[in-house]
Amino acid sequence: MLEIKNLTVKLAEEDKEIIKGLSLTVPKGEVHAIMGPNGSGKSTLAYVLAGRDDYEVTGGDILWNGESIIDLEPDERAAKGMFLAFQYPMEIPGVAGLTFLRAAVNAVRAKRGEDELSTPDFMRLARDKASSLNIDMEMLKRPVNVGFSGGEKKRSEILQMALLEPSLCVLDETDSGLDIDALKIVSEGVNALRSPDRAVVVITHYQRLLNHIVPDKVHVLAHGKIQKTGDKGLALELEKSGYAEFGDAA
Amino acid sequence: MVTTKNKVEQGLVEAFQDVADRLVGGAEEREAAIARFEATGFPHRRIEEWKYTDLRNMVKEAHTPFMPGGSKTLDEGVLQKALGPLSAIDATRIVFVDGQHQSSFDQLDESAVSVATLANQLASHSDGDQSLLADREATFRGSSVVDLNTALVTDGTEITIGPGSKPAKPILVVHVAQSANPAMTTIRHKISCGAGAEASLVEVFVRAPGAADAGLINTVSEVDVGNGAQFAHIKCVSNVAKTSQLANWHVTIGADANYRAFHFTAGCGLARSDGLIQFRGERSKLDFSGAFLGRDTDHIDTTLVIEHLVPHCESRELFKGVLDDRARGIFQGKVLVTQDAQKTDGKQMAQALMLSPDSEFDSKPELEIYADDVLCGHGSTSAELDEDLLFYLRSRGIPKDQARSLLIESFVGEALACVEVDSVREALTKLARTWLMEV
Ligand SMILES: Nc1ncnc2c1ncn2[C@@H]1O[C@H](COP(=O)(O)OP(=O)(O)O)[C@@H](O)[C@H]1O
Ligand SMILES: [Mg+2]
Repeated sequence: MLEIKNLTVKLAEEDKEIIKGLSLTVPKGEVHAIMGPNGSGKSTLAYVLAGRDDYEVTGGDILWNGESIIDLEPDERAAKGMFLAFQYPMEIPGVAGLTFLRAAVNAVRAKRGEDELSTPDFMRLARDKASSLNIDMEMLKRPVNVGFSGGEKKRSEILQMALLEPSLCVLDETDSGLDIDALKIVSEGVNALRSPDRAVVVITHYQRLLNHIVPDKVHVLAHGKIQKTGDKGLALELEKSGYAEFGDAA
Repeated sequence: MVTTKNKVEQGLVEAFQDVADRLVGGAEEREAAIARFEATGFPHRRIEEWKYTDLRNMVKEAHTPFMPGGSKTLDEGVLQKALGPLSAIDATRIVFVDGQHQSSFDQLDESAVSVATLANQLASHSDGDQSLLADREATFRGSSVVDLNTALVTDGTEITIGPGSKPAKPILVVHVAQSANPAMTTIRHKISCGAGAEASLVEVFVRAPGAADAGLINTVSEVDVGNGAQFAHIKCVSNVAKTSQLANWHVTIGADANYRAFHFTAGCGLARSDGLIQFRGERSKLDFSGAFLGRDTDHIDTTLVIEHLVPHCESRELFKGVLDDRARGIFQGKVLVTQDAQKTDGKQMAQALMLSPDSEFDSKPELEIYADDVLCGHGSTSAELDEDLLFYLRSRGIPKDQARSLLIESFVGEALACVEVDSVREALTKLARTWLMEV
């Protein structure tokens, strides 16, 4: 279970508070959507969960499986099963996709006390997951995300997630930049990971994705706080009325 | 003009006088060369091309020259250790230990390659003949480092790859420092890759376990790439501790040829490589790239002059460096395009990754263009490790040190990719990785 308790976050370099007393609980087995206007702090929340040091937690706590994770390094959080699919996946020139994926899979396995995967085993696994996401293996021989289209980058994030099999999946605007076919592929990838042992947080600006990944709960984030919580019907309401009610025209 | 010699320069002149009667062949040229060295001394920072590498003040000791017969022999196991990953390269091998050729280590099974040692040539040369050293020295322009080499050279190779021949294995010219006493090694190579030949040659500079961590090695390589030849020429300096490595390459390239040069330096107290590459035939290509890795107070300087003397040639330079602690990397790349050399295409890029705020990278491109229809460009960057990329890798569970290594390796890897001979590239990649893991 993910428990965020009265969290406050500011920029590490400046005195600008972005998350202002946010509380949220996501039990395993559930999918929660976080929606909100641009600039409301959705990505900041996602980064703070992943441990990015551009942000400083100034109050409150984040518990994952009952344990506070705010002092853990990003790789330690990953080892505990936390995963963030980035809104803007980064390009890593010179590092081949497969090298990166293998390093990640084996690092996480090592931290969990599991043996490294042999090259053939890893390749089999990668080929299998890639084909289900319609990703060409040739693409994975190229440097990570370099020259990929927006949609390819998002699919590559989901592939990483599928390979690492995290128990907490946070997806930040995974739908942006996807055409309808890619949206379906990505959604199927996420739905395939839905399980009673896994909590999923889907961050999105639009309701569209939630037709494919149906959430158990929908939260509205604005001005650094959860303003409203409801079921999937809330997403449809927001689609019609926009975020004006929460003080934003977007 | 009277120059005030410093102690080291004076010491080197005296060292020459001490060993002069034991230096075989070319007495006149040697005397003339040491006189030139005595007049000018080492290059110093007031000479433009040496402003970042003040050799006069950086060479701290007048080491005694190694003389023939002075070194103990080395066993194959020690040689393998010194070579590390390079020993995996299946090659035609010629070995010099402390500057002396050791034929017992040679592996010369290639009929396509002819090898003669300079020591033998000097010994068998009669006084009436035109001097070998004068011949060899003629193309170099007034470098006192080359003068010192001419005066003191004891050995080297003449490697001839016959026209049209395509030896299957790379040629490895290995220089191993072995003596526990720091000294001076002086070597000269003459390499010719005949018309239409295809070959690769690696000059390797390593230290045997227990060898002195100081000393000076001065090498000169004269290279001629014939018409239509394809020649890969690699220099690898690795595990040489705080020794000083002075290298001069002078390369002439014929028509329709392809010359691929690479300089790999993984840690070195003082490395200065001067390259002068001349296009003498049309439609030829040059790729001169390199990777330099420095930490502590390492100082690694690559200074290249590429002369486009004829039309329709292409030159590419890509140098990548990783600098930690107080290490200093230097890349100076001059491209000259003469009035006749229309349709020249010359590009140059030098990039450094700075791992410490105290490291320094100096890049000085220089374009001297007299033709009007040319495409020339240069660029240079220095940057720290990208924190965002580090975070991205770590968010996937990759520990910090491993994430750093991955990023550094990938940075250097872009340069190493220029080495087309698989076995050599793999060995250099391993050396780079080993260097990165040392603390
Ligand atoms: N690293 C940062 N540096 C400066 N401002 C930032 C940074 N991260 C977020 N912000 C600011 O914080 C606010 C919330 O941003 P973000 O979390 O990206 O919102 P969302 O993802 O909901 O669009 C915005 O005003 C944004 O400009
Ligand atoms: Mg965002």
